Amino acid sequence: MRTILILIKKEFLQVFRNPLLLSILIVAPMVQFMIFPFCADYEIKVLDIVFIDHDGSSVTQDIIHSFDASDIFVPHGIIHNKKEANRMLKHDKVDIIVEFPNHFEQDLMNGNATRIAITANAINTTKAGIGVGYTQEIIGGYMQEFKEKNMVYTSAEETPANVNLSYIYWYNEQMNYKNLIVPGILVILVTLIGCYVTALNLVREKEIGTIEQVNVTPIRRWQFLIGKMIPFWILGMAEFILGIGIMKLVFGITVQGSIPLLLGITAIYLLVMLGLGFFISSVSENQLQAMFIVLFLFIIFVLLSGLFTPTEGMPKWAHHINYLNPMSFYMEVIKKIVLKGSTFISVQKETIILSVMAVLVNTGAILSYQETSK
Amino acid sequence: MNSIEVDHLTKKFGDFVAVNEISFQVREGEIFGFLGANGAGKTTAIKMMSGLLQPTSGKAIVAGYDVTTQAKLIKRNIGYMSQRFSLYNDLTVFENMQLFGTIYKIPRTELKQRIMDSLAALELTKQANLLVNSIPLGWKQKLAFATAILHKPKIVFLDEPTSGVDPIVRREFWNLIYQTASTGVTILVTTHYMDEAEYCHRISIMADGNIRLLGTPEELKQQVGVSTINDVFVEYVKH
Repeated sequence: MRTILILIKKEFLQVFRNPLLLSILIVAPMVQFMIFPFCADYEIKVLDIVFIDHDGSSVTQDIIHSFDASDIFVPHGIIHNKKEANRMLKHDKVDIIVEFPNHFEQDLMNGNATRIAITANAINTTKAGIGVGYTQEIIGGYMQEFKEKNMVYTSAEETPANVNLSYIYWYNEQMNYKNLIVPGILVILVTLIGCYVTALNLVREKEIGTIEQVNVTPIRRWQFLIGKMIPFWILGMAEFILGIGIMKLVFGITVQGSIPLLLGITAIYLLVMLGLGFFISSVSENQLQAMFIVLFLFIIFVLLSGLFTPTEGMPKWAHHINYLNPMSFYMEVIKKIVLKGSTFISVQKETIILSVMAVLVNTGAILSYQETSK
Repeated sequence: MNSIEVDHLTKKFGDFVAVNEISFQVREGEIFGFLGANGAGKTTAIKMMSGLLQPTSGKAIVAGYDVTTQAKLIKRNIGYMSQRFSLYNDLTVFENMQLFGTIYKIPRTELKQRIMDSLAALELTKQANLLVNSIPLGWKQKLAFATAILHKPKIVFLDEPTSGVDPIVRREFWNLIYQTASTGVTILVTTHYMDEAEYCHRISIMADGNIRLLGTPEELKQQVGVSTINDVFVEYVKH
């Protein structure tokens, strides 16, 4: 016990004397936290639009003006030259071109078929899809009003059906992408502290040779690993709590479920990541190798975890790999507890799986740590 | 009584034979010097004797325990000073000694006093609270030695303890070694400095993993027919 306590003391002394490590641990992740959610965002906030009006009638004018009321569209005027419009699209000046044909108003009044061309830059498919959708919505809304004003209905059947769809999006009512990405960043932070920092820490002792002085003492390898693990476990938990605070203060996201439950499962997840970090450092010769292995695993973990894309859409083999991905279970827990307010029953499966992983990974880490080399 | 008994100890790394069937005994309280050029196998031999490296074959009994099966017990009874300075540079002098003293289970009540006594003997008392990376190499080496003997081991392995330090500190260092040996502690030391070899009770000269010569400095000089160990070494390297 005394041995473990002195090792913990040693580790904390070293962490607090290393300004670089300290900033990696605290400042860098927090800055990431402040920046990342604003960038990793699928919401489209600005759409540049230009109109080609061959008709120049009051109807086309009205439609074009109805775009002014939108918060999203930034109109870039009306032009008559299609080439010029295409050039603007090509140079990213605009995202959407709306083209009205000749005699648009006349055809509309006479009840003849007429069409509006919407051209979108689909380099960013999400943006194009959403842009076309919004454009259709605005034009469609105008057409509806136009019909109601100008048509004489002869029979009841022709009356536009008064069906109003209303939507409620559960668990994320504002359909705010931040509600998903911010807890996701929390997951990434905990993972980085757990895996990256510990892997580098132990392998660094190998590199500078201090581990040899420890290995020549009668210390037991589990004592040494626990003495390493507890300080980083405490730092990881502190970081997580700080993260929840920022989430509440900056993003206004409150944990819907039980915070003690969330902390408990985070504690288990951190153990998995710490064990993994030590395992990686045991099999690595130097910090560079350890860094590459962590980075490799980290990217796979993140992409499969369901942070950026829903796991439901992934092929079967990806689901199979995900059974080995601790991050995907933890992400699930975070989503459920933070956004849905789930209780222990709903995260029981994930908790058990993470616990089993923690035991296996840490056993592996202890066994792979060589105090006597071959 | 012998505190180290080595019998045909061998270490191979793949096809490369780092240590080739070396055999020797070291008596209790003896200062035994390991000489040899770089890459002669001295460090590999020391690492096997201190339980850091598994031998490929052969036997070594250190402090009464077998290196292949009782490494833990050996580690409790030896002190080790690596070729490369391997205390924590970002801890203070005192913190390093406290860390290793605690790992060796020196009782808390006794530890602080022992550290202070030891630092006083090294004239490092004033530096107790300095970070190790801020003190000069000579002091670092003395600190590493003091840390290695803090738990009063029966045997101390010193791997090139004086490389890179000035002649004055080297002299001080050898005084420390003599003091320690006079209390019955066995010292096994490797060195490049031939003048230091003269201070050893017995020396062995290693080359290519083999022990080529073994005896007291006087015996070796007579055997080769020269007047200094330096000449013994040069004479011997010629052949």
